[in-house]
Amino acid sequence: MSERGRLAMLLAALLLLAPVAWQVALALPAFGFPTSAYGQTINALVPHMRRVSNMVAAVNFDVRGFDTIGEELMLLAATTGATVLLRGSRGENIGDRAARLPGRHLAGRADGTVLVCRAAAILLMLFGVYVVLHGTVTPGGGFQGGVIVASSLLLVYLGEGYPAWRRIARAPVLALVEGLGAFAFVVAAAVPLAWGRPALSNILPLGTWKDLFSGGTMVVVNAAVGFAVAGSFGLILGEFMEETRGPEDEDMPDEEHR
Amino acid sequence: MNVLPWIVAAWLFGIGLYGIVTSRNYVHLIGCLSVCQSATYVLLLGIGFVWGSKPPVFYDHPPGTPAVDPILHALVLTDIVVGAAVTALLLAIALQVQKRRGTIDPRRLRPMRDPE
Repeated sequence: MSERGRLAMLLAALLLLAPVAWQVALALPAFGFPTSAYGQTINALVPHMRRVSNMVAAVNFDVRGFDTIGEELMLLAATTGATVLLRGSRGENIGDRAARLPGRHLAGRADGTVLVCRAAAILLMLFGVYVVLHGTVTPGGGFQGGVIVASSLLLVYLGEGYPAWRRIARAPVLALVEGLGAFAFVVAAAVPLAWGRPALSNILPLGTWKDLFSGGTMVVVNAAVGFAVAGSFGLILGEFMEETRGPEDEDMPDEEHR
Repeated sequence: MNVLPWIVAAWLFGIGLYGIVTSRNYVHLIGCLSVCQSATYVLLLGIGFVWGSKPPVFYDHPPGTPAVDPILHALVLTDIVVGAAVTALLLAIALQVQKRRGTIDPRRLRPMRDPE
């Protein structure tokens, strides 16, 4: 279809949909007023029932925890799909160095970059772990912290270069971290079944409000999600990074010298 | 004023859709899909918002203080994480397309035929 044809169809569709969207916007509940009794009930009851202060984590890991298993498995499936797609097409005869265009000058890293990246990578990873651990107490949790931990791995690449990245962020380790995280989540959901309780029932001691280890099973699930998310995002980053590897037979100078 | 957040969400979705329709590059198209997706963040957070209320984290303020809807926040969190993973999957597919067909311009890609 021609460019004009596409745009004309889009315009026609938008013109048809615009009045409908306007009607829906008018019919939606007024902005800024509580819409669901469910959310307000959680705000009122869960701090006492589960002794956690972060309601978002409580919804994700306890009240609607079963939905989060589905989401976790979706993340696992998307990561597996991306990894299989990338690995399957890469083939075997590639070297373990990044490819480069012949004749292109590659400047070495400044010492300052290396220093800042080394310090920042460690601090960022600690911060990620902190965000995961305090998931039930302050804003944060396994999902957010896991992504922060994974992004600290990127700083390794920025500061140390490709070979060091491959030595530190090993794909099998990351895959194991991801898989064990998802597995721990499923186990935490299944264990209460052995006592005839519903899946993901909170069976651990709840702890005290505003304490690091409050929320019982939520602490376990939160950590499991942190592992799974850090593993899967690290794995995806690594697989995209592997795409830069050049053919093995190509005679390449050492481009990572500093 | 009360409909503004919903209109912003619809507008974000619309410009994302425009980008997808006119895209000449799959990487750009995936970016536009993320713009469409951010419309859902605005919509969900808008539905959960309550005037004069605090975040649903009862650390600095005691339980019982009016707070916004935590369920919508949890949904947005889920949305963002799954969206990031799906974007990675789509980028991997775009790489495959580039390798097999030599282009990632949606208009230059013709349907695959039987190799007979």
